[in-house]
Amino acid sequence: MSSTRRVVITGMGLLTPLGAGTVANWDAVLAGRTGIARLRMFDPTPLSVQIGGEIPEFDAKNYIEKKDRKSLKHMSRTVQLGVAAARLALDDARLGKGATNPDRFGVVYGTGTIPGELLDLAAPAAATFDRETGRIDMSRWGTEGMPLLPPMWLLNHVPNMTACHVSILNDARGPNNTITLSHLGSLMALGEAVRMIRRGSADVIIVGGADTRTDLLSLIRCSLFLNLSRRNAEPELALRPFDRDRDGTVLGEGAAALILEDIDHARQRGATILGEVVAFAAGFDAGCHGSGFARVIRQACAQASDSVAALDHVNARAPGTIPDDAWEARAIRGTVPQLPVVAYKANLSNLGAAADIAELILSLHAFRQGILPATRNHAHPAVDCPVTVCRQARPIQGQAVLKLGGTELGQCAAVIVHCGTSG
Amino acid sequence: MARRRVVITGIGVISPLGDSPNRLFEALQAGKSGVSPIHRFDASSLPTRFAAEVADFRLADYLPETKLWQDAGLASEFAAAASQLALADAGLLPGATGVDRTRFAVYLGTGEGTQQFDALMGAVAVGYVPQSRSIDSARYAAFATQVYHPGREYEQELHTPIAHLAEYFDLQGPNYGCLTACAAGAQALAEATDLIRAGEADLVLAGGAHSMIHPLGVTGFNLLTALSTRNDAPQQASRPFDRDRDGFVLGEGAGMLILEELDHARRRGGKILGELTGFGVTCDAYRVTDSHPEGRGAAECMRQALADSGLKPEQIGYINAHGTSTKVNDAAETAAIKQVFGQHAYQIPISSTKSMTGHLIGAAGAVEAIICLEAIRRGMIPPTINYTTPDPECDLDYVPNHPRACRFDHALSNSFGFGGQNVSLIISRYSAEPG
Repeated sequence: MSSTRRVVITGMGLLTPLGAGTVANWDAVLAGRTGIARLRMFDPTPLSVQIGGEIPEFDAKNYIEKKDRKSLKHMSRTVQLGVAAARLALDDARLGKGATNPDRFGVVYGTGTIPGELLDLAAPAAATFDRETGRIDMSRWGTEGMPLLPPMWLLNHVPNMTACHVSILNDARGPNNTITLSHLGSLMALGEAVRMIRRGSADVIIVGGADTRTDLLSLIRCSLFLNLSRRNAEPELALRPFDRDRDGTVLGEGAAALILEDIDHARQRGATILGEVVAFAAGFDAGCHGSGFARVIRQACAQASDSVAALDHVNARAPGTIPDDAWEARAIRGTVPQLPVVAYKANLSNLGAAADIAELILSLHAFRQGILPATRNHAHPAVDCPVTVCRQARPIQGQAVLKLGGTELGQCAAVIVHCGTSG
Repeated sequence: MARRRVVITGIGVISPLGDSPNRLFEALQAGKSGVSPIHRFDASSLPTRFAAEVADFRLADYLPETKLWQDAGLASEFAAAASQLALADAGLLPGATGVDRTRFAVYLGTGEGTQQFDALMGAVAVGYVPQSRSIDSARYAAFATQVYHPGREYEQELHTPIAHLAEYFDLQGPNYGCLTACAAGAQALAEATDLIRAGEADLVLAGGAHSMIHPLGVTGFNLLTALSTRNDAPQQASRPFDRDRDGFVLGEGAGMLILEELDHARRRGGKILGELTGFGVTCDAYRVTDSHPEGRGAAECMRQALADSGLKPEQIGYINAHGTSTKVNDAAETAAIKQVFGQHAYQIPISSTKSMTGHLIGAAGAVEAIICLEAIRRGMIPPTINYTTPDPECDLDYVPNHPRACRFDHALSNSFGFGGQNVSLIISRYSAEPG
């Protein structure tokens, strides 16, 4: 290690189809509930995929001070979710305004594409679309289409805007970055944020992810290229991690954030330490063979050799697609076959760029509660997924969790968080 | 233990002024502008109708096999071409001996994928119900399903360009990408440097690639009134620090660098082109659209970069400015430089090569790092062209209109993004003794 600065987690913010806040989510998961349902925010009947994890009750005003609310109109829904999760995490960490040096206070978010508001495009498109040619009439676009767009249109959905708004609302003037790894975004953001604190660029970093994939635009786009479950008739059973009958993932919306902090900074202000990030490794496993992912897991275990014996479970990505679950299972089987595995996407839905941190938060809270919630919808173990999945809640026995993340193209990462008492 | 040093052992560039560091630098030295009327699409009705395009680009001219990119956007293709050039330059193409590819990472700074304009807009137009100001999901879905191209839609997902580089060039280490608007390319280089220092990789293919020269890109910036509208004189439109500047000019391209741990480079006999000796990364936390008027975050960022490199302000021989040619940026950047460098600010040559290349947005910081490297190697500072009328708020030495011969060892390059992200890099002449 080039540095001895230790990085701990002192706050968690979670906003998912199961509710707002860590406790509400954890309780729901322990009770075996799912946030996946038939879509309610628009009529999905014409779509091939009609299910997802929505948060219809979400109102960003509940998370933002009155004086700042005018900026909400420049935030897409994804950005609003990300801002809200940051608020929850800061409150959880009891980090009020001025509690830390703004110059040493950073923000790193993971992101995928952020869907723009289709209605913003509607009038300009209708005014200039030529149905004969199937194209926008460019000779009129600039004069008759463009002026109908909101002036801030571009900035409503540029993916770095989540981290930007979080920095502005919380006066975080330290390092600020937005990591573009789609479904692996928030875990890679965590890796980078840990490095930033270790190198001394920041004392506190809000690290998170936000995603919205249940809107009309995202669902139609994603159903063209992602393996999505078509089990529209039984949405609550659709996402089946490591299960024989899995047929695809189910998209959702949500956000999650952690407060990462230098351990001395946390101790000085008397913060509650929820866990310590003791290892992070990432890599690329071409063709999703499993050997590259296994190497990444071994690297993480090597960094945290003291914690490996203390590992309680693996918190898997398991999006519920045939190839992805099998890939991850092969990697687990080849490295830590003895560990029980949990996967929470059947409860949360697939939260995309927020998924890894959202799922990690459930494990972190399990250490505090002493009980690990079961994996939902794992009814028939799959031959191609040779891992031991927790089908029933069990008492926590160890002190650390191994969280895995990946993309369907082979990008992968592993993090180990130690949640026991530590020096 | 001494910190691991990070050197540059390969560079690849695709720019409006050429696809090699030589061609690019010679054009810059000659004060040539890469700006022209937009050819790629019909921009005739837009407020801005010019840009600095990469003309006649064909990926097949650079790569023997282009299948992975068959549906990719232009930025992803630029990244592939510049990566091939950089890896070849460094002798690190797949199969190179003595290299552990699991220690080889990628860090790409970029922007949003390019949306399929006609498909996106067509589906919205067909689905729009003006009476209720709503979208009819049935009509929208029926049309969208017909016209959306699955491959091209997939290529807009932000991890795809990174995965293609990792797969094609056999980079099995960490895959990172960042999107911080105009700072992304520089931020990728900064964080890639830290990946090596921290021991998470020995080699990183790092840089930026971007194109926003498409209908929604130009439209978006025009709506923000960020672009110059000097349509009668496109080549004079990008005029950083000049009193009559009226906005930036879009450029496009890619800059990719091979960052390598020094001992690793020495062991394999890699040629060392320069060293990345320091960086700063900060945020304005001020406004989404404007940089802080006194350059608060920018000044702190430059200070951090100096501290990180251990250099004194007087040791910086050249500043490649962010210098976008917008009213606010150029004044704020000037103020920030003065805060950091004090009286010495007036002695340092500062230029904005965006006056010639246009603003490559997510690729800008990476291409400008390459320009700094070339400037050090050649002992030649590229000019700021179109500088005719001094602005009292911008009163430093901007190397107006003509290049300047000058031997120096350290250059500072600034990149500041929409949304407040600031990055400063220090590029240094390599010397066996650390500076």
